[in-house]
Amino acid sequence: MWWRSASFVLDNSRNPVNDNVPPKSITISPPPLTDTTAAAAPPLQNPNFNWNMSMSAYYQTRAAHHGVVTSDWLAQAQEAAAATGAVDGQEDRSDGGGGTGGRAFGVIDEFNRWRKQPDLAEAVAAIRALAAVIGNSEANTMMELEIELKKASDSLKSWDTTSISLTAGCDLFMRYVTRTSALEYEDFNSAKSRLIERAEKFGEISCKARRIIAMLSQDFIFDGCTILVHGFSRVVLEVLKTAAQNKKLFRVFCTEGRPDRTGLRLSNELAKLDVPVKLLIDSAVAYTMDEVDMVFVGADGVVESGGIINMMGTYQIALVAHSMNKPVYVAAESYKFARLYPLDQKDMSPALRPIDFGVPIPSKVEVETSARDYTPPQYLTLLFTDLGVLTPSVVSDELIQLYL
Amino acid sequence: MPDTQALVNDFLNKLKKRKIEGSQATARQTAELLRSVISQQRVPYTNQAGALIDAMKVVGEQLIAANPVELAVGNIVRRVLHIIREEDLSLTTAAISGMNLSAVSDDDDDGDQDDHPVLSAAAVAAAARSTLRPPSLHTLLEDMPDSAAVPHTSSSGGDSEGKSKSADKSTITRKLKHDVIEAVNELIQDIITCHEQIAEQAVEHIHQNEVILTLGSSRTVLEFLCAAKEKKRSFRVFVAEGAPRYQGHLLAKELVARGLQTTLITDSAVFAMISRVNMVIVGAHVVMANGGVIAPVGLNMVALAAQKHAVPFVVLAGSHKLCPLYPHNPEVLLNELRSPSELLDFGEFSDCMDFGSGTGSPLLHVVNPTFDYVPPKLVSLFITDTGGHNPSYMYRLIADYYSADDLVIQRKPTTGN
Repeated sequence: MWWRSASFVLDNSRNPVNDNVPPKSITISPPPLTDTTAAAAPPLQNPNFNWNMSMSAYYQTRAAHHGVVTSDWLAQAQEAAAATGAVDGQEDRSDGGGGTGGRAFGVIDEFNRWRKQPDLAEAVAAIRALAAVIGNSEANTMMELEIELKKASDSLKSWDTTSISLTAGCDLFMRYVTRTSALEYEDFNSAKSRLIERAEKFGEISCKARRIIAMLSQDFIFDGCTILVHGFSRVVLEVLKTAAQNKKLFRVFCTEGRPDRTGLRLSNELAKLDVPVKLLIDSAVAYTMDEVDMVFVGADGVVESGGIINMMGTYQIALVAHSMNKPVYVAAESYKFARLYPLDQKDMSPALRPIDFGVPIPSKVEVETSARDYTPPQYLTLLFTDLGVLTPSVVSDELIQLYL
Repeated sequence: MPDTQALVNDFLNKLKKRKIEGSQATARQTAELLRSVISQQRVPYTNQAGALIDAMKVVGEQLIAANPVELAVGNIVRRVLHIIREEDLSLTTAAISGMNLSAVSDDDDDGDQDDHPVLSAAAVAAAARSTLRPPSLHTLLEDMPDSAAVPHTSSSGGDSEGKSKSADKSTITRKLKHDVIEAVNELIQDIITCHEQIAEQAVEHIHQNEVILTLGSSRTVLEFLCAAKEKKRSFRVFVAEGAPRYQGHLLAKELVARGLQTTLITDSAVFAMISRVNMVIVGAHVVMANGGVIAPVGLNMVALAAQKHAVPFVVLAGSHKLCPLYPHNPEVLLNELRSPSELLDFGEFSDCMDFGSGTGSPLLHVVNPTFDYVPPKLVSLFITDTGGHNPSYMYRLIADYYSADDLVIQRKPTTGN
């Protein structure tokens, strides 16, 4: 277990092939997309690169959904809007490795259309996009359809390598298509319609998952407790909302969540619910920890070790909480379980985001722009998922069972 | 059924007055009571499993309320509920797969069959089996449409398709009850024999010339140690006396009677002796879903001492002690305060505890908690009747024994009202 899992090595050895194709194809979503291949490169190799420029598509969605726009982004948006027109032409050609080039473009298009809906999780958007591929497919056999889907999901995954739930959603759906025994008993057309129907249901599943998680976590929120939350997470908001509706008396400390200030948004939402809420700057976590009874965080992805990948700062909050013997609870839907086994912080392709320091930064100063960190499982107490309340080791068990 | 009600009331009284001691005895008697309730229960023709489950829930709720600290009662109620669900499912899948063969042949004249696409028997069986299993990533995409109706699928599915088959129903009903009682008998047998099954593994864990430490008295531990002794292992046992009930004295006596090298120590000497100990073996009251243990008071201290000296801390627990709940503030909520007479003799301090001493409240308070909570990270190994398990693996055993719908028994009626 101390060495990276075989799957991880395999994924990485496949990735360079995809990386040769500049996967830039979106023109729809409001914030412009900059080069995601650059995001995959380690920062030390090109010191001249302007890191404020690059931002992962995943965090673009988050930013769009969570509605915090910095002046930095606006400047970039204009800059990149001019650039995209020029790039678009090349990209179409380079993307089309075979006859499916048009199709791949369609998937990403579809995906972007879906993920613009603010309540839709990224995994749901991915599965909807794959369902659209099935709908448009001219394949006559299951095998053809599978190959087509595989290509579509690969292009979707390589288009944004930083988004864990996108990858996890694609994997989950592909597994359903290839391994479901019910499909074998049916003729091709009804199998196809069953797949599409299931994909459409998935949106409901994701909403239902949030409600289940909120229900499960109610036992853990007791009257008079103080909860520390970090960043904005729809699940955590749902949990706190349900607790407030159940007339629980509790207090919430929100971290500010620099640089996106996602904590501000959460505190806004909580104030609307009349929950007593206090904002902290990110560095005040240790200072307030002795008043805190439990830490609640969401997750971008839950990995095979049972650890989580989440917004930058989660790791240090978990460390502080662990050292003061406070429980750290993670609320995450099960489709965020991903087949990754990061060994340390630098073991993932970094998702980058711009940071607005308010003052110009001299060009010689390097800025750490990674948007997320990895919290190892030993610092987490329990995970609340739609599969139930799990200890971190259960997560690996689930993932191993699923992909064995 | 007045006679079962009398039985239930009798048992409730015993639970409330704490007349039944020890989780094994409680578990066995609960299972026997539930068995007689099931056998007396009149079952309607439709939705038999539902009726049984409801009856179980009504009784189970009373039993759990009678002694909420004795979690073994709730465990057995949930086990029986799970048994009913399982047996019902195996019957209905058998029935559906039989029926489906005929349904396919006269499919075209049946209008409403088109709503449910006819699946093959194997697919139905697979889908039905997964409704009992706890939710997993496997089934995330697969049976979400059904799962809203999970509590009813098995029964309602049987009703809608089997309306013409009412002749079979009575035999199915009798068969269901019969199967359930059979399975509950097996459960009772398991509870009775759990000591032997745990003790069988003793030789794998206790080695020659080792020093074992235990606290208080537990029948499981006694059998475990004796089983190792019978297999010609020679080892030494330190017994901490387990104040204030001093059950360690009894254990020490038993061990000596069976020819084991025994040393009796006070509870406060545990830390002093732990460096000479190779393994700590203790019994448990209940094992919670996160791998935490509710155990006789004093064991948390022993576990901390063992951790400090890196001594393995092994907990023996029969499968009836596995509780599917997570502990919330267990030191307070899952604890029981016993009589101060165990600490103090009457007459000695009793003047200080006088409520009539002018101030209105006594100066001396005696707190005598029964249980300790040992967090999962302090436990090295659980030995149950199915083998040795890591604390983080307890959830899987629990998933095998209980179905997810039964976790909240008490709350169901209150939300219904």
